[in-house]
Amino acid sequence: MEYVLTAESLSKQYKNFKALNDFSIHVPKGSIYGFIGKNGAGKTTLIRLVCGLQSPTSGSYALYGVPNTDSGIARSRRRMGAVVETPSIYTDMTAEDNLKEQFRIIGLPSFDDIPVLLDLVGLSDTGKKKAKHFSLGMKQRLGIAIALAGSPDFLILDEPVNGLDPQGIIEMRELILKLNRERGITFLISSHILDELSRLATHYGFIDSGHMIREISAADLDAACRKCVRVQVSDIHALTRVLDEMHMDYNIFSDTMADIFAKVNISQLAIALADQGCDIISVSEREESLESYYVNLIGGGKHNE
Amino acid sequence: MSRLLSADLARLRKSIFFKLCVIGMFLFGIYMKVMDYVSCTQYGFTVSLFSMLTIYMFVLVFMIPAFVSLFVGAEYSDGTIRNKLIIGHTRLSIYLSNLITGVAAALIFTAAYLIAGLAVGIPLCGVSEANYRELVSLFLLSIVTMTAIASLSTLIGMLCQSRAVTAVVNILAVLFLLVMSIYVSARLNEPEYYQSITTMTDDGSIQDVAEEKNPTYLRGTERKVYEFFNEFIPTSQAVAITQGSVSDYSSVARMAGYSAGIAVVSTAVGIFVFRRKDIK
Repeated sequence: MEYVLTAESLSKQYKNFKALNDFSIHVPKGSIYGFIGKNGAGKTTLIRLVCGLQSPTSGSYALYGVPNTDSGIARSRRRMGAVVETPSIYTDMTAEDNLKEQFRIIGLPSFDDIPVLLDLVGLSDTGKKKAKHFSLGMKQRLGIAIALAGSPDFLILDEPVNGLDPQGIIEMRELILKLNRERGITFLISSHILDELSRLATHYGFIDSGHMIREISAADLDAACRKCVRVQVSDIHALTRVLDEMHMDYNIFSDTMADIFAKVNISQLAIALADQGCDIISVSEREESLESYYVNLIGGGKHNE
Repeated sequence: MSRLLSADLARLRKSIFFKLCVIGMFLFGIYMKVMDYVSCTQYGFTVSLFSMLTIYMFVLVFMIPAFVSLFVGAEYSDGTIRNKLIIGHTRLSIYLSNLITGVAAALIFTAAYLIAGLAVGIPLCGVSEANYRELVSLFLLSIVTMTAIASLSTLIGMLCQSRAVTAVVNILAVLFLLVMSIYVSARLNEPEYYQSITTMTDDGSIQDVAEEKNPTYLRGTERKVYEFFNEFIPTSQAVAITQGSVSDYSSVARMAGYSAGIAVVSTAVGIFVFRRKDIK
């Protein structure tokens, strides 16, 4: 698999606080990579390092295979765009002037693409309105337009839907999907709004305390989160024997409980278990969401947000 | 760096504060020349085209730090410095581009004052004979002094990520240097002797009959140190330029050398620290 961004043993220390600790990441080309973690987990720190705003304390990362220690990293960065925390826009300029400024910084010879970009992010009718008078959603979209100015094929968005109203969230989601499908842009999206991320992401990375806990594709996550029937019984061995005889997928996770990944005829199961001298204590149908997967993975009880 | 410079100069042209400063300097140039003409004709003095022409430096001592604070500070407050770093511009280029833009702005402010002063002064005063060597020396010194002030302001602006803090620190630094300049100048201008006894003669006139050594008069090494600071501090140089006369050309050369040194050292320190700085 071809990766746009990889990192190995990456660490970043601020005085006595280790923001990233032996961190690794693998962002596949063409993916929408949902980067999930609680506040202070190290999401923005990684983004700052990748964007060249800060240097790692140890370890390394590579953009398009070019390590950060290589002088060619600046050339690799020209292929990416980013909106880090707040959109980076001159608030006393119009949307068009902001894009002109970015075109000059990049060194693009003409401003011909500016109307196309403004149209793409839905800001073509803002005229002489200065960015300071824009809504948060408009500012976010202008930030994305600026990040798109150099026609990047990798876009990093740090909390892109934070503070947006429902309409703004929908527009942002549609824009990201459009850019990913039509232009093949790879996205790294950091967020803790999991429901929103689950509508977009093709891959996930879960970070906690500066460490990557797990990287998983959306397909694998769907498989892990599939619908199941949770059964609590008096004899788990009897249950496994019965389920094996019925050729059903299951997962045992305690001395009395198991998840069965199949459509279960409760009457047949109860009769079969009764034959084995096993009682059913409880049965519940459940479906694991991205949120519950995340909570199970990180450990909801130890959060201190 | 040319791309960054092009972007920064384009932003300069769009800046409302920059436009206000240019207009302000233009009006100030007209005002000073008209007032000079009015006061000279009122008291019967010869009107000179070149008097009051270097007073712009005293205004720029405050205007440059204020402008640089807002211009460079916007890079941090709006977060736009990230756009430059993300697409791969080096920190050296970003720093130098901001510095050059600050110096360019200071030169434009100067030009606005001079154009206004000459536009009003030539019809009012005519083109009179003048010590052009002195004028050119002061003008060249003012450019180096402006560069030093812009370099110090850029240093603070690039290392401090809060626009408000940058503005406060820059203005306080200028005020501190100005107070220091006034103190140094006052100590150097103290008389070596002062009259201790004043008598009235028979015809009623007042006569000083004895002179006494001033104990606070600076002598020896101490005087040399004060003289050094009087030439070294950019605000002292600004005061000297504002006065519009040169008593010693070697002193002007030394002042220019000191300012050039301040500009080079502050820029080198600024770039060194900025390259290692974590940007949020």
